Parts: sequence; C-alpha cells; structure tokens
Amino acid sequence: MTAPTHTDPHAGLDRAGRQPGGPGSAAPPNRAAWILVMNREIVVRALNKTFLIGLVVSVAIIAALAAFMAWQGSKTESFAVVVTGGDTTATAAVEAGEAIAVAQDTNAELTVLDVADADAARTALTDGDAEAWLHPADDPADGWVLTGQSDPDSTLTRLLTAGLQQEVLESNAAAAGTSVAELTAGSALTTDRVDGSAVDSQTLFFASFALALLFFIGALGSGQMIAGSVVEEKQSRLVEIMATAVPLRHLLAGKILGSSIVALAQNVVFAVVGLVALSFTPTAAILPSLSSSLVWFVLFFAVGFMGMAALYAVAGALASRTEDLQHTTTPMTMAIMGIYFLTFSASGTFATVLSYVPVANIVSMPVRVLSGDALWWEPVVSLLVLVAFTLVAVLVSERAYRGALLQTGGRIGWKRAFAAAS
Amino acid sequence: MISNDSLEVRGLTRTFGELTAVDDVSFTVPPGLLTGFVGGNGAGKTTTMRMIMGVLGPTAGEVRFGGAPLTLADRRTFGYMPEERGLYPKQPVLDQLVYLARLRGISAQVARAEVLDHLDRLGLAGRAKEHVEKLSLGNQQRVQIIAALMGSPRMLVLDEPFSGLDPTAVDGMVDLLAEHTARGVPVLFSSHQLDLVERLCERLVILKSGRVMADGAPAELQAGGTERHRLVVGGDAGWVRGVPGVHAVDVDGNVALLELVDDAAVQRLLASALERGTVQELTPVRPTLAQIYREVTA
Repeated sequence: MTAPTHTDPHAGLDRAGRQPGGPGSAAPPNRAAWILVMNREIVVRALNKTFLIGLVVSVAIIAALAAFMAWQGSKTESFAVVVTGGDTTATAAVEAGEAIAVAQDTNAELTVLDVADADAARTALTDGDAEAWLHPADDPADGWVLTGQSDPDSTLTRLLTAGLQQEVLESNAAAAGTSVAELTAGSALTTDRVDGSAVDSQTLFFASFALALLFFIGALGSGQMIAGSVVEEKQSRLVEIMATAVPLRHLLAGKILGSSIVALAQNVVFAVVGLVALSFTPTAAILPSLSSSLVWFVLFFAVGFMGMAALYAVAGALASRTEDLQHTTTPMTMAIMGIYFLTFSASGTFATVLSYVPVANIVSMPVRVLSGDALWWEPVVSLLVLVAFTLVAVLVSERAYRGALLQTGGRIGWKRAFAAAS
Repeated sequence: MISNDSLEVRGLTRTFGELTAVDDVSFTVPPGLLTGFVGGNGAGKTTTMRMIMGVLGPTAGEVRFGGAPLTLADRRTFGYMPEERGLYPKQPVLDQLVYLARLRGISAQVARAEVLDHLDRLGLAGRAKEHVEKLSLGNQQRVQIIAALMGSPRMLVLDEPFSGLDPTAVDGMVDLLAEHTARGVPVLFSSHQLDLVERLCERLVILKSGRVMADGAPAELQAGGTERHRLVVGGDAGWVRGVPGVHAVDVDGNVALLELVDDAAVQRLLASALERGTVQELTPVRPTLAQIYREVTA
C-alpha cells in the first residue's frame, strides 16, 4: 500500500493561523488513513449485535456438542441378563461377555439374573428387571436365543454373541481334547501405521467437516459484512466525502485488513473453544495432531481470506444499493458453498489436487496434514500458491474497486469498473 | 489570515455515452463570496460539483484553485456536501464526525473539540451520542453540513445544502457560512430555491442542459435582463399596441406591461398617453431573479 506522492503546493501554509496539522492548514497526506479505516471496521463489527449473538451462539453450540460427546463417552450402560435354572453355559457366556466389554473398553456392564423358569424370565423382561434372556433354542441344533422385551440392544447382542461363541468354543475344544488357545495360536493380527497418526477415518471426516464449516461461516459471514459496509458507504455517498480526503486504496486496505482480523479472531475463538472442549472428551488422544492441523488452517485462512475480502469489497462496490448485493455477491457465495461441499467430501487424488487449489486449500491442506498424508513441504508450497492468489486478487480488486465505487446508477459490471479506473 | 484563492472551472465537459451532461462549463468562484449554482433538475449542477471534487473524472476541461490545477491535497482541505444525504446510520453522531475529520488528517482532540462546538451551535449539543438514524432529516442535514465544515476548509462545495431546512435552520446555516466567507473562503452551493439564492448570493451561475446561461452578480444579471415598463393611464390602455417601438407584454384594462426598444420609444409612448388623457404611472420594472432565470433558461 503506497501513500500518494503528489506534492501539495499549499503544504506548510497555515491559512487559519493555527498549529500546522491542525485545522486550516493544507494537511499533508494522511498516511495512516488505512489504520483509521481498519480500526473503524473492527470496532463497528465487534459491537454489532448480530455478530456478537452469532459468536456466542456458535461457541455455546461447540461447547454443548463437546459436553454431549463427553457424557456419551463416559456413561456406562448396565444390562441384566436373565438365565434360567442356573444354566451354567449361559451364565459363563454372560461373564465372558462382561470380560470382553472390559477388554474392549466398551462402556457396558453385564450382570446375571438367575430365575427359576421361562415364565419368571418373561416376567423379568416385562417388568423391566432385565434387558434380555439368554436361553437355548428349542432345537439344540439352532444354538441359542436372546429374547428381549423388544429387539435387544445392539451392544449387548454383540458382547453376548462374542461371549457365547468363546464359551461354546471352549467347551467344544475341551470335548475334542484341545483348547481354544492351542487352536488359535499364531493367528493374532494387530494393525500398525508408518505415519504414527492416531487419527482414524471417522475422526478425519468429522475434522474435515468442522474445518469446512469454520471456513464457510468465516468466509461467508465476514465476506457479506465487507460487501455490505462498502455499499453502505457508496449508497449514502459517504464514499464521496471520503474519496476527497483519502486515496481510495487506503479505504480498501483498511476494510480488507479490518474484516480479515475480525474473521480470523472469530475462527481462532472457535478453534480454541473446540480444542478445549475436545480435551474433555474420549477423543482427546487426537488433540496433538488436530492442533497442528488447526494452526495450518488458521494460517491458510488468514492469507486466503484477505483475497476473498478484496473480491467481496468489489462485489460491494459493483452494487449501487444494498438490494443489488444479492446479485453481485452471488459468484462468491457459489464458490464458497462449492468449496464447502467439495472439501469435506473429497478423498483420494481429488483431495490431493484440491489441497493445492487456492481457497479450497484453506480446508483441504489442513485435512491432509491431519490425516498424515501430506509431506512436510506440501503445506508450505500450497500456502505459497495461496499467497500468490491473494496478491493477484488484491491487485485486481484494487482497480475494480476504484473504478466502480464512484459510479452511480444501477449495477456495474467488472468490465466497466476496470475501464473506469484509470 | 484571509485567503484569496479562487476556484476556476475551465471548459469542464462530461459525457455519459450519447448524453452530454456538462458542456464546456466555465465560471469562477471568487474568494469570500457565496456563489449560487442554479438550474433545473438534470441541468448538470451535481455532475459539475462531483467533477470539482474529483469524484467524477471530466471528459474535458480542468479545475484550478489559486491559479494551479486542483490536486488531491487541495481537495482534502475542501468541505464537500454531496447530493444525497447519508452518514453511517448506526454510528453515533460524534464518533462519525470525528472519524471523518481524522481521515482528513485532523488530530482526534482537535476534531472532537470542533465537532462539539459545531453541534452546540446548530442546537444538537445533546444529540452527540445518538445514532444518526434516530435524528430527524433536518438534523441529519445539520450533521452532514458539520462534516463539510470541519477543519476550517479552504473551499466549500455544497450540493443543495438548504433543501429540507426550516427558515430558522436556514438562517443558522447562513450565519455559519458567513463565517467562512469572512475568512476569504470561496463557497459554491447549488439550489433550486431562487428566492433564497437571491437573498444570499453575491454571485450566481445559471446552468441549463449542461451549459452556463448566465454568470455574474444578481444586480448585473438584473441590469442585463430585458427591462420592462409599467404604464397606468386614466382610460383603457388597449391603444398601446399601435405605438411603434413598443411591445405590449400584457394589457389589462388601464394597466399595461410593456417592453420598449429604446429611450425614444419611451418618449413616444408618454406623448401618446398624454394626448389620450391622464397618465397615473410610468415606471421601469426590474426583473426578479426568478424572471431572469425563466428568461435565460427559456
């Protein structure tokens, strides 16, 4: 941003006889005008009720979501399983199921409820004293039946299936003169990964969805804000007063920086609240890798949003009235929505390509960093591509903004705006 | 210290496609005078003022101030009130006036003191913390004019500053402007309220279809306009139509409004009238500004 270089023929003259720089003198160019504009953008936005309410509501949603996940993760479900007449196989199966639940870190607890006969078992189910009744099928060849008041709980079914299988295997093996341990020796399979990342695909999907959403809210919300603030000044002719006081590029620079700082601060708040909230949930193990991914995201967003803010400022300048905004901001809105859907659903080669495409890489590259798929230099190169995009966007926008801002009468096209900026 | 820079508009032209909105307009706004800029809707007043303020680029011509081409640095010291009114609707009056002053390089302290002083003088002292949208249109107009007067401007360009103001507010505004002309500041303001312009202006520029139709002091313009005479005789005045060198504009019973080609015609008219009876009145009629305006823009 260069300050104007005109020489002021009246500089230094003090026509009102007051202090130089004070009223009455031909003031030297105000080189700090962009700082004033930036400060105003930040203050006005930060005090805007809609913005503040949106911020508080979003933070509350993030916190509530994390609290729900934490509660979901910590609560233990208790299942009472009915066995009839002290059935030893069934009792052993339930105990095996309980052992499996402990081994797998499943939040379920299985207990045995021994009753006299089938009628007492049914009564226990009907009265809600037990969740299910484990008993042999009428025909022993059909194995076992788990009866519930309605469909038995899926976790319970899974644990009992495994427990029963283990128990029956043990007895069958014993009958055959061997043991399960002997039969399954050497068949264990464990997984390992070279990148050492602890992030599974489900978490990755959730994280990419969250990043895409952060991008969507930040870019769209702050973008609309900058376009609105530009057209407000244009519609009220305030910009004509300001244009006689400061070079228009100072106005643009102040607006881009001000709204970028607000958008960035908003995303940092969301990210920090999200990370803190996450640390209380069972997924806390992914925090280290998620944090580094978030740092990349914030960095990418900071750079990329400046370019988008510049384009949004042009969208505001192309409009003549607030009602025109919907039309002039459509290309930006479509692009942001497209990026939002593409980035959180992309995978494989497409995701790799997206992680280098400017603006989409704000989301895609941090996701690849999180998945452990990106080499160390990849985010750096991608960031440089984004820096180049932002530079071009700002330069192009500066010209179109100057050309369109002082034109009145209806919506203005990019072409006319460009031609008008000489 | 008194400034004595004039603003000169030279051959200013602006076309929008086929339309020539401002066509080779030249005039001077002398220091220390209120210059009225008059013309109908679409005459090109606003377009000319926007070109003076550099908000709109001219197709041809230039604007000079103090003998040199106008620069951005000059314009920063001008006070400008654009055609359409509007400030930030949701920002307090004081805050945004200080902001606009600071953009022009005035320090926050000086700006604040000056804004409060002006608010006080225009009867808005108690409204400094109110949002602009809460003010009446007349009060918004006052806030807007304060924005133009900040920092002792060296030139004032005001587009319809009086529209929508009640007579008391107009007087207050006129007093305020008089302080600036007393400092030697040239003031150009547009208006379509001719009575007001006639009362206030020491100088007048009349625009029609983008061209300057008349330019000068109101007295000069009135002297240059077609002089008329009013004749009141004892009997019916219908006979005046037959007198050579006399053009009857209007005859109503014994009263006639006449245009006379020269002084000889006055004598001939008077002789004829005395032949026919008594003469109660024969007086020259000075045209009002409204008549001149109608004449030059006809």
